[in-house]
Amino acid sequence: MTSWAVERAVARVLFWGGLFSVSLMLMGLCAYAARDQPHAWEGLRTVQNRQAGGDVDIFTTLADVRRGLRQRPLEGLALATLGLLGLLATPIAGVAVALVCFGRQRDRPYVVISALLLAMLLVSLALAGGV
Amino acid sequence: MTPLVFLAALFATSVMAGATGAILGLGGGILLIPILTLFYGVDLRYAMGASIVSVIATSSGAAAAYLRTSLSNIRIGLFLTLATVSGALVGAGLAGHVPVRALQLLLGLALGYSAFTTLRQLHVEIPQSLEADTLALRFSLDGTYYDAPLDRQVKYRAARVRQGFAAMFGAGLLSGLLGIGSGAFKVLAMDYFMRLPMKVSTATSNFMIGVTSAATASVYFAHGDIHPLLATPVAIGVLAGAMLGTRLMARLRNTTVRKAFLPVLAYLAASMILHGLGIELP
Repeated sequence: MTSWAVERAVARVLFWGGLFSVSLMLMGLCAYAARDQPHAWEGLRTVQNRQAGGDVDIFTTLADVRRGLRQRPLEGLALATLGLLGLLATPIAGVAVALVCFGRQRDRPYVVISALLLAMLLVSLALAGGV
Repeated sequence: MTPLVFLAALFATSVMAGATGAILGLGGGILLIPILTLFYGVDLRYAMGASIVSVIATSSGAAAAYLRTSLSNIRIGLFLTLATVSGALVGAGLAGHVPVRALQLLLGLALGYSAFTTLRQLHVEIPQSLEADTLALRFSLDGTYYDAPLDRQVKYRAARVRQGFAAMFGAGLLSGLLGIGSGAFKVLAMDYFMRLPMKVSTATSNFMIGVTSAATASVYFAHGDIHPLLATPVAIGVLAGAMLGTRLMARLRNTTVRKAFLPVLAYLAASMILHGLGIELP
């Protein structure tokens, strides 16, 4: 496997990961708007002024998102947040795929670099504490 | 502004930010945050949350296309991202313990000097290769890409790798200390220190900013600063814009990209110097 093959594999992860995540975000937004349109417009106002209303749920943990996804009818913003988390995970998945590809190539320096980078990213996520 | 007009304007702005970010190797935050806060009245924390999402969306859209066409170099990207992420972790640990203003002033002056040198090499299409760097040879920091405007394959190899790595560590340090993106610094380190073609620098930066921002974004998420009603139209617009930007970039010369990058560099230098002197911009 050449450097070109690694680049193709990572490109596929970034492209499809990004597209899939953004599609989920869009579906979530549509579900949210379809469920209660006046409420949705009011929610948009909170974007412009955080204190304007506290009735829009912003999910800040995976447990919250899971709870929102189990609700019926579906909580649209939970689906949008799931897409958002997918988007945040996409570049990290790209590094993981690069690690696997370099491993198959037995390219030791880049296996070490990718592994170190992945470890540091995971440490950063753990330090952030939210995800 | 009615909600529909707001959403349409937000989408259009995001497309523009995504296209610009894809060409210049920036996350788009430099454009998005002022526009969202000044023109749309968006809360600053939500604007910053949307901006970090836009960085990852730009990276996903642009880096995928650049990696496919070999304009983005994965080995150089991973090698330098290691420096940036290490710097960011150290910077986050040092936050509150270092004189940030003095650092900003110093960095602003360094950026001003870089803007001046960039101005002097504004018409350099492909940098002349310097003598082979041992680290570049050891880590295969080289590549080839097809340049459409020049209608030929361009071969390149990184020079002054230690300086480039140190600059990337500095960019990460600043990112961790100040919580700012560092796309412009990454481009500068690759273009100025490592003498890579400008388009390779911005394309590789596009891959790197996504990786470095992924960790930062989780902090914003946990703090509730990423509002899905704002982040969703921004992410969709930016992704579309980034894909458009990659198509435009294929047709541009390295000199055109450098000319477009220069005002960003000048603005950042001025902004850093003013912050360092304690003068807040409106």
